[in-house]
Amino acid sequence: MMNRMINFLERTVAGPMAKVAEQRHLLAIRDGVVSSLPFIIVGSFFLLVAFPPFPETWAITAWAAENAAEILIPYRMTMFIMSLYVAFGIGYNLANSYKVDPLSGGQIAVVALLLTITPTAIEELGFVLPMQYLGGNGLFVTIIVSIIAVEIFRICKQKEITIKLPESVPDSVGRSFEALIPATIVILLISAITVLMGVNLHLLVQNIFAPIVTVGDSLIGVLIPVFLITLFWSFGIHGVSVVGSVARPVWEVYLLNNSEAAAEGASLLPHIAPEPLYQWFIWIGGSGATLGLVLVMLFFARSKYLKNLGRTVIAPGIFNINEPVVFGAPIVLNPILIIPFIIVPIVTATIAFTVTSIGLVSPTFIRAPWTLPAPIGAYLATGGDWRAIILVLVNIVISILIYLPFFKVYDNKMVAMEKGEYEEGSQKT
Amino acid sequence: MKKVLFVCSGGMSSAIVVKALKEEAKKHGEELEVKAIGSSEVEMELKDEWDVIMVAPQIRHRFDGIKRQADEAGVPVGAIPPNAYTPMGGPALYKTLKELIE
Repeated sequence: MMNRMINFLERTVAGPMAKVAEQRHLLAIRDGVVSSLPFIIVGSFFLLVAFPPFPETWAITAWAAENAAEILIPYRMTMFIMSLYVAFGIGYNLANSYKVDPLSGGQIAVVALLLTITPTAIEELGFVLPMQYLGGNGLFVTIIVSIIAVEIFRICKQKEITIKLPESVPDSVGRSFEALIPATIVILLISAITVLMGVNLHLLVQNIFAPIVTVGDSLIGVLIPVFLITLFWSFGIHGVSVVGSVARPVWEVYLLNNSEAAAEGASLLPHIAPEPLYQWFIWIGGSGATLGLVLVMLFFARSKYLKNLGRTVIAPGIFNINEPVVFGAPIVLNPILIIPFIIVPIVTATIAFTVTSIGLVSPTFIRAPWTLPAPIGAYLATGGDWRAIILVLVNIVISILIYLPFFKVYDNKMVAMEKGEYEEGSQKT
Repeated sequence: MKKVLFVCSGGMSSAIVVKALKEEAKKHGEELEVKAIGSSEVEMELKDEWDVIMVAPQIRHRFDGIKRQADEAGVPVGAIPPNAYTPMGGPALYKTLKELIE
């Protein structure tokens, strides 16, 4: 019965939804955003250096406070203008998926983004490009204009609206000429909007996306992706990869806005739910907060199989790699373990969201590598808030308590199976 | 020596499973070269020579796309069964590999 329902859900819901996330443009957005990750990680660590998590009386804290503006320059050239890197990444990946020249695709996307911003002349400095829309505030426009630019590029290419040079011309020269007409169209189009019509695309798009940005930062906006991610994993499909394809741009906006506020020295950060909230407080040990399950397995397993499995999956689990336990236990298509696997993150997410929104733990604004153990990652992500470590530990204890009874049922079944008492048709439990 | 490409989401989890496959192959007196990668790296890796590509179960929604790339390169490709994708899944992994190559 349960198995039939699971199969039915996989065929009708999870499978088709996962296919949607593989849509060409969503894929290009995902890969484009992910390609900027190194710059975000490195850039955000300069925030940590500028605002070190030490008492104000320490010499290093005083030094950092005095030199914050200089320390933050690498941050300003990376995370603070992340949309610039994302534009190139989306353009490159989308062009690549159409099998047209990816380099030209990336460049056309960048020019499209830059043309949505108006440079101003300042005496002494010459022309200056305001950076305010190159970070989180510009991400939605970046996604839209990058896609439009590459679409124009590939349609021109496919309809052969390009300048063709004789075959004797080297490839690289030929390719750049191929981009000439589409680049002209893109530049004229965006210039017409920004310069001729005087439209601020960023303000316009921000208003359109405002409701989504508000909802995604609410408790229900956190619980929906949390539930969907574990639901996908219950079928053995990489939930974060699927849900993230759609949700990641919004999560990035929260992260960038929070980091911008932190760089200004604000004590209150605007958003509760950047992705690090999920990463460190909810997905402890991997999606489904499976570190709790692994610890239960390690200390309480009686069946030989689960005891052995616990020993092999604890090390990856500490570093948030949980495929070995998800497929090993397995949790996938296992009615007994799927229940806590879905319940635990909903409970821990509710706690994390509530605690953060009433100000007991600082919101996250730094992106640390996802393979760090959760307490360390949480401490760094919050800019060095020791209370974040306590929240992680509390959530681990809660996940242990919820996993334990379900695990016991499953473990007993395994013990019976190992003893050979388990025969087809004699399932009484 | 057979060259095997292991594809998962980011290349992390497959790295763990790779060990199980290599050890099982060794029991059968076979040395394998196995590389674990993320799904976005497939296209680049296909510029090298590979004997077979194995795709992790959690990205099976991406299998068709990877298969298309592999077909173009003429490399056999197969999905790893979920129950084989564990550190203890060596025998099942090795069996899947053998079926794909032969």
